[in-house]
Amino acid sequence: MNKAKTITKADLARINAIVSEYSQQKWAMIPLLQKIQSEFGYIPPQSTPFIARSLGLFPSQVQGVISFYTQLYTQPRGRKIVRVCRGTACHVRGGKTILKLVKQHLGLEEGETTPDFEYTLETVACIGVCALAPNIVFADHVHGHMNPKKVEQLFRNREGRE
Amino acid sequence: MKEDIGLQPITITLDGREVSGYPGMTILELAKESGIDIPTLCHDPQLTSVGACRVCLVEDERNSALLASCVAPIASGMVINTHSPRVIERRKTIVKLMLTSHPDSCLVCDKGNRCQLRQIASDLGIGLVELQRIPQMASIEEVNPFLERDLSKCILCAKCIRACQELVVEGAIDYFQRGFTTIPATLNNLPLESSECTFCGTCVALCPTGALMEKDRIYGGTTKSTTETTCPFCGCGCSICLEVKDNQVVRVIPGKEDPVNHSVLCVRGSYGCDFVNSPDRLLKPLVKGNGNFEELSWGKALELVGTQFQRIKDEYGGDSLALLGSSKCTNEANYLLQRFARCVLGTNNIDNDGRLYNSASRIGLGSSLGFSGTTNYLSDLEQSELILVIGADPSSSAPAVGYAIKRAVKQRGVKLLLIDPRQTRLSLFAHLWLRPEVGTDVALINGLAKVIIDEGLLDEEFVARRTDNFEAFDESLKKYTLEYVEKTTGVTGQEIRTAARLYAKASRAAIVYGTGITQHTTGTDGVGALANLALLTGNIGRKGGGVYALQRKNNGQGACDMGTLPKFLPGYQSVTDAQARGRFEERWGVSLPAEPGLTALEIMEQVKKGKIKGMYIVGENPILSFPNSRLITEILTSLDFLVVQEMFLTETAKLANVVLPAASFAEKEGTFTNFEGRVNRVRKAIKPIGESLPDWEIVVRLAGKMDYPLPFSSLQDVMSEIEELVPSYEAYTDSERQDELAYGETGRTYGRQLLKGFARFSPIEYTPQAGERKSDYPFTLLTGTTLYHFGTGSRSFRSLRLKKFSPEAFVEICESDARKLAITDGEKVKVISAVGEVTTMVKITDTLREGMLFMPVSFPETPVNELFDIILNPETKAPSLKACSVKLEKISLP
Repeated sequence: MNKAKTITKADLARINAIVSEYSQQKWAMIPLLQKIQSEFGYIPPQSTPFIARSLGLFPSQVQGVISFYTQLYTQPRGRKIVRVCRGTACHVRGGKTILKLVKQHLGLEEGETTPDFEYTLETVACIGVCALAPNIVFADHVHGHMNPKKVEQLFRNREGRE
Repeated sequence: MKEDIGLQPITITLDGREVSGYPGMTILELAKESGIDIPTLCHDPQLTSVGACRVCLVEDERNSALLASCVAPIASGMVINTHSPRVIERRKTIVKLMLTSHPDSCLVCDKGNRCQLRQIASDLGIGLVELQRIPQMASIEEVNPFLERDLSKCILCAKCIRACQELVVEGAIDYFQRGFTTIPATLNNLPLESSECTFCGTCVALCPTGALMEKDRIYGGTTKSTTETTCPFCGCGCSICLEVKDNQVVRVIPGKEDPVNHSVLCVRGSYGCDFVNSPDRLLKPLVKGNGNFEELSWGKALELVGTQFQRIKDEYGGDSLALLGSSKCTNEANYLLQRFARCVLGTNNIDNDGRLYNSASRIGLGSSLGFSGTTNYLSDLEQSELILVIGADPSSSAPAVGYAIKRAVKQRGVKLLLIDPRQTRLSLFAHLWLRPEVGTDVALINGLAKVIIDEGLLDEEFVARRTDNFEAFDESLKKYTLEYVEKTTGVTGQEIRTAARLYAKASRAAIVYGTGITQHTTGTDGVGALANLALLTGNIGRKGGGVYALQRKNNGQGACDMGTLPKFLPGYQSVTDAQARGRFEERWGVSLPAEPGLTALEIMEQVKKGKIKGMYIVGENPILSFPNSRLITEILTSLDFLVVQEMFLTETAKLANVVLPAASFAEKEGTFTNFEGRVNRVRKAIKPIGESLPDWEIVVRLAGKMDYPLPFSSLQDVMSEIEELVPSYEAYTDSERQDELAYGETGRTYGRQLLKGFARFSPIEYTPQAGERKSDYPFTLLTGTTLYHFGTGSRSFRSLRLKKFSPEAFVEICESDARKLAITDGEKVKVISAVGEVTTMVKITDTLREGMLFMPVSFPETPVNELFDIILNPETKAPSLKACSVKLEKISLP
């Protein structure tokens, strides 16, 4: 495990603080989980018992909800999320090749995170801008009309900035 | 019943017939009521319906809608078909879809004909699945000895999940992930043994397929008969069904629709009953000659016992004999035993092991409420507003009570006020948890009472009209100021005030207590103080209020009701009361001894002094259950003649001159009375093992040998005499009465008047625990029940699976103390008290505070009772077995 991503006591205290804002409000589970995730990038499994206790649920129930939603993660993720679209339009326009190239550039398979927690690679079914296919969502920005050159540029640029 | 609420019936057409139901009723419920059978897989009347399996679908002819009948409420004008060709076709498809991912292992699957999926498939006439198979691959990975999960057979009906969340309220499992990858899983998908799972077996009993199966069975195959009887372990008295084949108890499943346990057992009930078929069972009477046991025929053995008892009686008088009855044996056996003692041997020296666990309740509650037991039914807890649990870990000692409390908290929003120095499973459910110093309960309870009075939170009307002696009680509380109580108990004044307000302001507040109160030397004081608290707030004679005195053993209540007590004839009629005695003398045709006899530990003392020469111990193992086992061993060895009637050659039986083999609960008829006072039937499921005999029969035969034939030719005769002579057992064998309140009831106080017109406050002073030697013995050792064993372990250690899962005792210590002593987890240490020592394994825990240790009882190899000196409660003569001062020593390696 990367040292930067081990949960510290301070992290747990922060999680507890977030959790206590929503104490005993079962309806608030999803916003609460999202809030933790937005701060930590994922939901540390160690926090499940605290969340459960505070909401009056069993830890297994909280875990059930977390594992149900693809938007919620229990593993640390990269600071930048790369989402390659695999929707029909993107597929027709060569999305498959784009995905292959991104994989090569990052050295990752789908769902994986680089050891320095910089990038996480994901695929999505459709992001709704098929006119720009093939698409990549890079750190919440849509990059349309992707081609091998642009893929290379995208990652070279980013690397250069680091 | 529902008509009373004034709801308008709803009429629908069901399979061409007009039927009426009530708003909120589901189609399935109405169909069931109308005698129409709709198949279901995920539905269970005890669980919330989720409509997960869709097998119960029906069609509404008006709009051709297909509805899952288990979740679809009836609506006026519905025209429902439950078995139309379209419904059958759809139902078939649904079942076929389930079968596509279900392995074809029916031939070797142990679920066999009990599989509901297979049953429904065959009912629907599904021969071939005809769809492409999508096998679910899952490995069986559990290493616990109780249950195994084969998730390839899981149909995701969520019965296990709902049972765990709603009935057991443990929540060990829930759905994990989604779509094809969904499984029921524990937190972090760990094996069950690393989760919160308590192996109660509820999920196994409910699983419709072979996905959850019992593991390590002693016997395979399909059973031939099922007998509904009562669990022989704790005082809850859960109804269990024994599945039997070839005179073997193959499986135990929860009894149906039982008002106590709601079809939920614990690990002991579900998996612990295999002691019945243990190879250790005694098969023939044994007689000791030259230090070795030899088998003897019943005739000769009883002849010998009879002659010896007669000799001792003739030579030294009846009071030179003593008997110990058993809170494990049936009411009938205990009744006969006390009659044998009083009529045949002519002594009142008879007691039972309830002395150790519940005598404080009997006397403490008896003197203030005029009623010596639990005042309300377990199911009433749901109607409480607050439950105060003190000195009890019901999740281990009385699991059905634990479930009921957790259900009340989770589902009814009942507040739990927990008072326990040790963290237990209930701590997580507590609204407020107070952690007093061990043995300071009385001070704390008095402190609560004082706050209630000072803040005017008492029920003045109840106190004025229903109680007396309030002034003296009020006066006695003067000393218990918040400062004093805080200093004594270590609980902050603020917490005491909050707790007192919580308890007093709840309109219906129940108190549940266990051996954490009764087994202290000041046990009666604790019980009395709790009774005061309940009276102060008017919580007696009120549904949802009351006092629940947990019983340790299955028939703790019954053994005392039956008069296996030195001071009382059956039904607590004092032996010194000439009138009461007269009634029994007339009925039994003998004159009865009028002097109260000796209590269990007084008997031991008199044996030591040589006054008592012979003893007859039935179903009890004093060497492991009484304090100071070394001394008790010495005492029992010094007897002229000792007879032990047991299922196994226990530590006590080994010292006997004659051992009589008794039949187990599964081999006899009778009744047990549970802690609520419910009389539950015990039914014969198998023939007695070897030549063992039911206890009652042995006593009758023995009496016959002593030329005092007891006039009983069948158990029914015994029951009739009990009905005639024991108050509140008047019609107890009439168990077919369906009326819920009359279900084997023995007369409770709620809903009626108090039994005596007035309840009485008893001023109670806090006395610090006796025997404190802080510097030499710096730790306070608490003892308690563990979920996986029971009593002295004579039965649970002969249950293969319980023994395998929990083979060894342990001493729990908190991390900082362990660090100070440089002790590591799993290390062997000596626990030493002023009178004895035991060697055991260390378990580091976060459930204890500094200076405290915890050890479970019930481990024959690590007899905790050896650490206790015999310190008796002055009123009950019950020994202290809950807490003592000890030190820990590392075992230095040679």
